[in-house]
Amino acid sequence: MALHAPMRVLGAAGICAAIAVCVVCAAQTAIADPPAAGAEASPIYGVTMPAGYRDWQLISVGHLAGSSLDGSGGKLTQLRAQLGNDIAIKAMRAGTLPFPDGAIIAALHWNEVASDDNNKVLAGGFPGAGLQSSFAGPAVNVQFMVKDSKKYASTGGWGFADFKNGKPGDEALHKTCFPCHQPAKDRDFVFNHYAPTP
Amino acid sequence: MNRTIPQFVFAAAAFVVISAPFAAEGAEGAGSPIYGVTIPDGYRDWPVVNVAHEAGDLNDLRVVLGNAIAMKAFRDGTLPFPDGTAIARLAWKSVPSAQNNAVFGREQSFVTGAPTNLELMVKDSKKYAMSGGWGFAQFTNGKPDDEALHQKCFPCHQPAKAHDFLFTQYAP
Repeated sequence: MALHAPMRVLGAAGICAAIAVCVVCAAQTAIADPPAAGAEASPIYGVTMPAGYRDWQLISVGHLAGSSLDGSGGKLTQLRAQLGNDIAIKAMRAGTLPFPDGAIIAALHWNEVASDDNNKVLAGGFPGAGLQSSFAGPAVNVQFMVKDSKKYASTGGWGFADFKNGKPGDEALHKTCFPCHQPAKDRDFVFNHYAPTP
Repeated sequence: MNRTIPQFVFAAAAFVVISAPFAAEGAEGAGSPIYGVTIPDGYRDWPVVNVAHEAGDLNDLRVVLGNAIAMKAFRDGTLPFPDGTAIARLAWKSVPSAQNNAVFGREQSFVTGAPTNLELMVKDSKKYAMSGGWGFAQFTNGKPDDEALHQKCFPCHQPAKAHDFLFTQYAP
């Protein structure tokens, strides 16, 4: 919560002001809000990890299976969740496009882990269904999209960031964010759709 | 001294007015058989405990959400879960995303399709003393499923007894 205001300020003020705000906000965060708030910003965009994002509301979940994206030839199976801050969730539910300034979307990616415990139960409860259960294991990375139509005017109004273990990825990686999101241009560059409430 | 009574009356009236709308919250719709668990208001806004994928006949994507009491207990590793804990498991059909796969160049991205059902576990150690302190519910299209299905909930959760009958663990 403490980070929402500074995030907005980041867009409105210049870089100098942003640095000052970040210092203040880091100091406040250390006292008031211990959960993950990184001071390190993404290259190109300068997006930092918003405090408390893990508590944001759910947009949707996804499953990614196939070959590793790093070209190593390895297998990749991930479980993913997209969370949104209040502004993002409100826009998602109302179908507002483009997303308003202040919207932040977090994409959490985990390696998929098979659950032997669950499989035993499922085999008993649903014989012959061939059910295989897996859940989120170790975290892979977390990505953010931050809307500021002025600050990020050249990238559709979005600032991008990819963090592994709290550290931002390099500049080469961040150069791929916006081009890769082009196919979702008619949805303001956001791939995810809000999952209906069961 | 003359003002004491009117203030008290005002406070009492205010309490009635303020508390009346809240009394109805969470009581909408029918409860589950056996347990009488209803769909909690605003559960879709709860934070994420974990996500899951069931391959095979179900082929679904799932997320487990927790209310504030549940989230605190998960993060603190509190067992058993305190009374008031509520956990919601939402599931959707897993469908390939044509849009996302266009980016990846092959069918490897799956997203949520139509919702399948909603399951709830609500902790009340006195009310549900016979079932590990948990009340169970499964709703399809907002309607509770039948008693036969609800008879299976607690037996099926026995293998997770060491985790207070919860299969789900907190995702980092």
